[in-house]
Amino acid sequence: MMSSRTFSLLAPVTLGIIILGIWEGICRFWHIPPYLMPSPSAIWRALMLDGVALLHALLITLEITFAALIAAVVGGVLVAFLLVQSPLIERCLMPYVVIMQVTPIVAIAPLIIILIHNTPLALTACAALVAIFPVISNTLQGLRSVDPDLAAYFQMHKASRLQTLIRLRIPSALPMFMAGLRIATGLSLVGAIVAEFVAGTGGNSAGLAYQILQSGFQMDIPRMFAALFLITVAGLVLYAAAASLQRFALRHRP
Amino acid sequence: MSSPVLSLASIEKVFPNGVRGLSPVDLTVEKGDFVTLIGPSGCGKSTLLKLIANLHTPSGGKMNWWGGNFGDVGRKGRRMAFVFQDATLMPWATIAKNVRLPLDLEKVDRSTADKRALAALERVGLGHVTEHYPAQLSGGMKMRVSIARALVTEPDLLLMDEPFGALDEFTRNRLDEEMARLCYEDGLTTLFVTHALHEAAFLSSRVMVMAARPGRIHAEYEIDQSILRNEEFRLSDQFAGISRELAILLEDASRESMIQQEMRA
Ligand SMILES: Nc1ncnc2c1ncn2[C@@H]1O[C@H](COP(=O)(O)OP(=O)(O)O)[C@@H](O)[C@H]1O
Ligand SMILES: [Mg+2]
Repeated sequence: MMSSRTFSLLAPVTLGIIILGIWEGICRFWHIPPYLMPSPSAIWRALMLDGVALLHALLITLEITFAALIAAVVGGVLVAFLLVQSPLIERCLMPYVVIMQVTPIVAIAPLIIILIHNTPLALTACAALVAIFPVISNTLQGLRSVDPDLAAYFQMHKASRLQTLIRLRIPSALPMFMAGLRIATGLSLVGAIVAEFVAGTGGNSAGLAYQILQSGFQMDIPRMFAALFLITVAGLVLYAAAASLQRFALRHRP
Repeated sequence: MSSPVLSLASIEKVFPNGVRGLSPVDLTVEKGDFVTLIGPSGCGKSTLLKLIANLHTPSGGKMNWWGGNFGDVGRKGRRMAFVFQDATLMPWATIAKNVRLPLDLEKVDRSTADKRALAALERVGLGHVTEHYPAQLSGGMKMRVSIARALVTEPDLLLMDEPFGALDEFTRNRLDEEMARLCYEDGLTTLFVTHALHEAAFLSSRVMVMAARPGRIHAEYEIDQSILRNEEFRLSDQFAGISRELAILLEDASRESMIQQEMRA
């Protein structure tokens, strides 16, 4: 008998292979030109042919993604700690946090790119803006999700503010924070790519989004798919890494 | 005679929203007492315990701690400990760290704290799970850990708010026997809240029957301290007699609570 884990891995992989097979078959049988719909084998050839350049572009995008993620986590946690200090601070600041969240990044990205001359920095700022909101809201909710009886226990034992923060509030906030971090990881990648699209920067420091744009201009659709494939793989790896980190950090909790 | 561990004189509590949690309550707990508060829900049992634990401030009356001011709690080595209805453990910390918490908060040095935590866990029969996490233990074991966390500070008064209410009857009976041992053999002074009549009859040296709306003490019932609280006692006619008398008092109290409610309606 197959274990349920093996099955849950094997089933989607099998489905994927079947779909790729059908796709390949359709493209070959009807001789669909690659600029309309490239076959999986054509995409694979494009990936092999241009792999080094595409991987280089992927690394650039990932650099921006990680820088944005770190900025979003540090900034988001700081903002959450600030907000939780007093109801007054929260009243004053929260509307702006929400405004920031509801403004589409594509709408403010051009402004940020004009304001910040250093392109990688501008891209990082855009991506961080996309990713920061779940960090803020989750950390905030986490810092508030302290078990009231445990909080009373700390109060009864005359725990200082610092002791309560370190021994109670931060560990209590961890599950929510971790969920926020996982969302932010995915959003950082989305943000980085959206910002690259808007910036449209070429040259040596061009990320994957630029490669997609360029392939589009040149009608090199297989290469476009190859770049898309790399982004998807990167997204999956990031998601898996964040999920493992979350599981590890919360391994002792029910 | 030495001064009582705790004495409350005309203690009242009116909540900021105007709800009258407690009308004047008098209560004295002597060293070695096992006092139980029993009554219908909403009669102010938790409120009274929280007042004593300094989580609420009374609206009136006078509270004394070892004959002195209430500010002395924790000083001069006179301590209180609190056990909640849920075990209220930190899920992210090992059992040893959970039990050590009150000592850590007092900045007791690490090796002393570890030794005392282990000793407290051994007292509740859990010396072998120090490195486990709360999620790995059963409800009854978690409650024992919670009791160990209270014992580790060598409290002069242990406050317990319906501590075994969420447990099955067998587990509850075992823990009741353990509490009886801690109190009647080791001399732990306890103020215990329950809504289970048999638990009150089994454990207490004194039962305070409370009535609601507003919360007050309706009757007081003494039980001979020298009775051995064991399985035999639980099956005895004496236990049945105590339970019956308590049931009558409790019935009385809840009827009065109802009348008060109807008069207000
Ligand atoms: N913080 C509070 N604010 C207002 N009313 C409260 C508060 N805490 C308790 N009460 C009220 O006081 C009464 C006694 O509550 P409580 O002490 O929890 O009862 P018990 O523990 O006996 O069930 C109840 O009517 C409850 O609604
Ligand atoms: Mg209660």
